[in-house]
Amino acid sequence: MVSEYSQVSGPGLFVFETNQLLDKLELLILGSEKNGGLQASMDEVFRIMHTIKGSAAMMAFQNISLVAHSVEDVFYFLRENRQTTVDDSKLTDLVLSVVDFIKGEIAKLETGKSLTGDASGLTNAIQAFLAEIKTLDPVLAGLPLKSDYEVMRQSFIEACRIEGEEGQTICEAVVFFDDDCGMENLRALTVLSELGTYAQKLEYAPGDIVENDATADLIRYEGFRIWFTTTASMTALHDFFAQVMFLKEYSLMAIDHSDASKPRIPRCIDLDGPLVTASESAGQPADATGDSEQSLAAKQSFISVNVAKMDTLMDLVGELVIAEAMVTQNPELQDLNLDKFFKAARQLRKITGELQDVVMSIRMVPLAATFHKMTRIVRDMARNLDKQVELEIVGEQTEVDKNIIENIADPLMHLIRNAVDHGIEPVDVRAAKGKPLTGKVRLEAKNSGGDVWIIVQDDGGGLNREKILQKARERGLLDQDDSGLTDKQVYAFILKPGFSTKECVTEYSGRGVGMDVVAKNIAAIGGAISVDSAEGVGTTMSIRIPLTLAIIDGMTVKVGDSVYTVPTIAIKESFRLREQNLITDPDNREMIMIRGQCYPVLRLHERFKIKTAVADLYEGIMLMVELEGKSACLLVDALLGQQQVVVKALPGYIKKMQGIAGCTLLGDGSVSLILDVDGLIQT
Amino acid sequence: MKVLTVDDAVFIRVTLREMLERHGYEVVGEASNGIEGVKKYNELKPDLVTMDITMPEMDGIAALRKIKQINPQAKVIMISAMGQEKSVKESILAGACGFILKPFNEEQVIRGLSKFKS
Repeated sequence: MVSEYSQVSGPGLFVFETNQLLDKLELLILGSEKNGGLQASMDEVFRIMHTIKGSAAMMAFQNISLVAHSVEDVFYFLRENRQTTVDDSKLTDLVLSVVDFIKGEIAKLETGKSLTGDASGLTNAIQAFLAEIKTLDPVLAGLPLKSDYEVMRQSFIEACRIEGEEGQTICEAVVFFDDDCGMENLRALTVLSELGTYAQKLEYAPGDIVENDATADLIRYEGFRIWFTTTASMTALHDFFAQVMFLKEYSLMAIDHSDASKPRIPRCIDLDGPLVTASESAGQPADATGDSEQSLAAKQSFISVNVAKMDTLMDLVGELVIAEAMVTQNPELQDLNLDKFFKAARQLRKITGELQDVVMSIRMVPLAATFHKMTRIVRDMARNLDKQVELEIVGEQTEVDKNIIENIADPLMHLIRNAVDHGIEPVDVRAAKGKPLTGKVRLEAKNSGGDVWIIVQDDGGGLNREKILQKARERGLLDQDDSGLTDKQVYAFILKPGFSTKECVTEYSGRGVGMDVVAKNIAAIGGAISVDSAEGVGTTMSIRIPLTLAIIDGMTVKVGDSVYTVPTIAIKESFRLREQNLITDPDNREMIMIRGQCYPVLRLHERFKIKTAVADLYEGIMLMVELEGKSACLLVDALLGQQQVVVKALPGYIKKMQGIAGCTLLGDGSVSLILDVDGLIQT
Repeated sequence: MKVLTVDDAVFIRVTLREMLERHGYEVVGEASNGIEGVKKYNELKPDLVTMDITMPEMDGIAALRKIKQINPQAKVIMISAMGQEKSVKESILAGACGFILKPFNEEQVIRGLSKFKS
């Protein structure tokens, strides 16, 4: 049986699993904070901390193990005592800071640094917290002993009073355990419970191994003594002792009847160890399998696959689809009567198509993890800025390509910060305006056609049209009468570089990363952002992103003998040039005037130095492309068609050149270069 | 010797598997919680089970009890952490045939389990 994790080495697996657990824990803590208390999720928190502690100890990461242990202790106590008077927000803060600490250490591990973080301060704080809640507990001491142990112990003691009967041997055994095995008293208990199948009557010393964990030391040095009556043969008994785990040595002998019946030698235990009373309630509490827990369990079922493998698979499937087309649509097959072949070919095409869909879907990851990170950001910001903000998450199950997830997290975080910092007003302002005191930020994702929309909406102060216009005038962004601009056009100015209407810089926003960077990052993954707002009511940022970067909609165009692919998203329109539209500027550059706007002309054959028969602007086709507000008209010979293409990076031996984004294989097996519209317009 | 490992931490399961397989044990199955553990015990009938105590869905002690119901002779070794004395006691009373403390090393595990290798 091959382990599905065989690709991940020890520390890698530790990092992967611990990160997963931490994410889950964070989600849980934040979720329960919202739902009024950690009570419901205590078992889960306890378990996660316990697991992290165990794994970290195995890896010899003492600092992580210790701090996790301290949290585990707190939750163990809470779990057992079901205390309700705990300061939840303080506990939440402590747990979150532990999560942060461990995450920091794990990040160091991932980058190959040594773990240097000192958690002693944190550990002390948690221990102090535990001590504090313990003093609050009115019924900490004095709970009855657990009955099971009591019964078992009594039965042992009573047994010893009865003497050996006919046919029974009385034996004495002294048992020593391995030095490093730990919990010797419980190992002794194991021996007793197993020996029960051979022995009729049992007596042992020390006699309080169940109640007193300090007896472990005594057993370690002096051994554990058992007297018992049995009908089993000595061989069977030797076999039994040979099977005791971590047994270092033992002696076993049959003794005289009178010896066994003499009173038990009381063993003096002069150890200062704490007397542990089994004050805890019996058994583990039944798991409350609520809806939230079930959804967590559903989220957990992942396997880890190397992304590079996924990329290769994607690549290969892309080539397979093309190879399939090259075979089944081969020109040499034309006019041949090949019914059976075409039947088989149709089957092949169906399967390759399905295969492509499946591979695509494997790369799809739900936005949930990214979205839930925002919960933490909103919470921390709201606390520090003294605002009341609630984050509503909708459509977190929407899936997008993994690459896109990685690129969307930063812009999204920026938008959320903006919404909380600049959008949502302080409580007093909201009260004065008659709004609900708690501001609302809504983070929504939804599928629409081939795109995914992510919408960040707040019910804060909204954008001020006048302020933006004024700033735009100062920056010289407005050169014409601005009264005719629509609100959307005005709001779009905030996406321009260096545009900030917020004077004060806070800890969270305005760190020099403006909305222009957000817009640029989103454009880099083929998306677009738009802004809508109503003053006093709120702001809505809508981001449209493609499902995947690996496949784009492309327009294939012909220039000379070459075929280029232009991303459809960049194309505004295509048209044949009419005479009245062409103008030349004083530098003799050709411009095309359309609806009052001037667009520079870019002849692709000149740009790429290709010989073509179609050099005349009136003979070819003009493609108007636009990206990030810059536009140009590209001259191509002809449009060939529109299709989805699988984007491939240019091979390493080809020098990276501006204006080319990558390449793709066309249905007939020929290579087409994909134009980088942004790069083309820049030059 | 067929072993089933039950632990919610993948890391521990993989570590145990590697340790055991290096010493001629056959890890026939892994489970990440008690329910799964009992189910796999039923299917695979291993000679030995290593059972974590703290797990989601169904903890190790409950799973141990179920396994003991299925087969009173079942050999179940608990994997426990320091400080879990109470749970260890409970599991011994429920019929665990031994326990290994975390953090463990390869030598300890193999030494502990060697008693059951016949």
